[in-house]
Amino acid sequence: MRRFDTIVTGNRPVADGYRELRFAWPHDDGRRADDPVPGRFFTLRAGGRYDPALRRPFAFSDWRPAGDAACVFQLRGRGTEYLAALRPGDGLDVLGPLGRGFGRPPRGSRPMLVAGGIGVGPMLYLAATLAADAAAGLCEAPILVVGARTASLVPVAMLPAGTAVCTDDGSAGFSGTVTDWLASFDPGLPPAFYACGPTPMMAAVAAVAASRRAPYEASVEQWMACGVGACAGCAVRLRSGEYAKACSDGPVLDGSTVDWEAMA
Amino acid sequence: MMAAAKPASAAGPGAAADLSVTIRGMTMPNPVGVASGTFGYGEEYAPLVDLDALGAIYTKAVTPEPRPGNPAPRLADTPAGMLNSIGLANPGLDAFVADKLPLLRGRRCAIIVNVAGKTEDDYLRVVERLDGEAGIDGYEINVSCPNVAHGGLAFGTDPAQVERLTRRLADARKAAPGRPIIVKLSPNVTDLTAIAKAAEAGGADALSCINTLVGMVIDVKARRPTLAMGTGGLSGPAVRPVGVACVYRVSRAVSIPVIGLGGIARADDALQYLLAGASAVQVGTALFSRPETPLEVLSGIRAFMEREGVERVGDIRAMLR
Repeated sequence: MRRFDTIVTGNRPVADGYRELRFAWPHDDGRRADDPVPGRFFTLRAGGRYDPALRRPFAFSDWRPAGDAACVFQLRGRGTEYLAALRPGDGLDVLGPLGRGFGRPPRGSRPMLVAGGIGVGPMLYLAATLAADAAAGLCEAPILVVGARTASLVPVAMLPAGTAVCTDDGSAGFSGTVTDWLASFDPGLPPAFYACGPTPMMAAVAAVAASRRAPYEASVEQWMACGVGACAGCAVRLRSGEYAKACSDGPVLDGSTVDWEAMA
Repeated sequence: MMAAAKPASAAGPGAAADLSVTIRGMTMPNPVGVASGTFGYGEEYAPLVDLDALGAIYTKAVTPEPRPGNPAPRLADTPAGMLNSIGLANPGLDAFVADKLPLLRGRRCAIIVNVAGKTEDDYLRVVERLDGEAGIDGYEINVSCPNVAHGGLAFGTDPAQVERLTRRLADARKAAPGRPIIVKLSPNVTDLTAIAKAAEAGGADALSCINTLVGMVIDVKARRPTLAMGTGGLSGPAVRPVGVACVYRVSRAVSIPVIGLGGIARADDALQYLLAGASAVQVGTALFSRPETPLEVLSGIRAFMEREGVERVGDIRAMLR
């Protein structure tokens, strides 16, 4: 991890209220263990020295060593409004890569990637990575399913071919939730679930994974302060009663261990 | 030492300034520390900050037993600040000694352990146990904790209790009597100077001023407080004027050193505290926004001293007009 000043290389709308922000990733220090694998994240300063006091965390939606990196973000408040106004060439203050990313799927399993709402960002990066791995014979081809309330919230142009789209109102793709879709889908192989999205969806995927005795890697979202495991602000309650730190124990956690009811 | 003390004849504009701060038997190489709760136990920030260049690390609170902390959410974003309700999550005294302290030993900066508890005996247990451990330079006493024996009212709101607790902790130092007891004051009281004087009367060697201010954020859409605990502690640039005023008043009410904190994000912020009467400062919330902040603050203080011809950092507080 490091904090560095870089420049914005792109900032475009990808769905209603969603944008993709790209920026130069100027270094490749050769420490592969610290590479921004899918599921890891970075934080951005979204204003001046005094305000906002908290950086904003975003999962990588793409990364090229010594090239550029990207995230998909949703306009939610003053931090993301600041980011939405950035133009190519503007300065950007980045801290990362941070956290623990997704692991590889078990041999012979079908990677089932489930994205809900703004959770699509890290799943796009994971889908691209696993598709490349599958082409190299390292794993089975992944299946990506993306859920949204309505068609305008789906970043259609970013989705790889073959993505299953679900909308709550039936305005695009499958009419219903991603879990409705999963219930009727036969992955052909024992599934391995990966998910990022709103808590009710994350909890529903946990139930599906448990019923199929499948592994479940869940990327959780929580407000963060330090991002490096120092402040214990981003606590996520586990079923054991203990707390995990979303920033350093996660954001990718074993979804079967998370107390999803406490997250709601 | 960041900079060696120079003979008086060599001082003046351009001369190297003496940035060290001594409190009881502890010497900090410079006045800029990192505030308790924002810097973990140091290791978390080691990839981003040169720990040896800091004046002091005030550790995350240590309680006798491990504490999982409060329910989530524990954080809220506020104008030029943040609210936190972490609940003193920490691995407990034994794990601190076994796992965290070894990584802090041998640092050039001072290591000040922040001590917390639910009862007076909790605080005493921590100090008594750490008394025999090497690698600790001082204790910072968090008196903002709710006292379970007094209906959850914070220790730091009652002068008599602060004096008694401070005296018991001061007397608990046997093997390492040179370690200062630094009482960290809560601003959530009617008369902060009364608490400050009580701590001094109890034998405190210094005071940290200020802890967070109680605050609340309500999620209007959900119609409930954003934090799971309802209220939390406000920190960040928004509280700086409150902290500076507290240091100004407290430093005139006591004769022991005052360490200023609250919203320091730039060197000028720290200089406001030093001019108000602080002997040293701590950077907290600004670390989250910019981990380099303490070292930038330090170089700004050094530049100020060289520009103004100030020999010792302790001379700054006499410069307020």
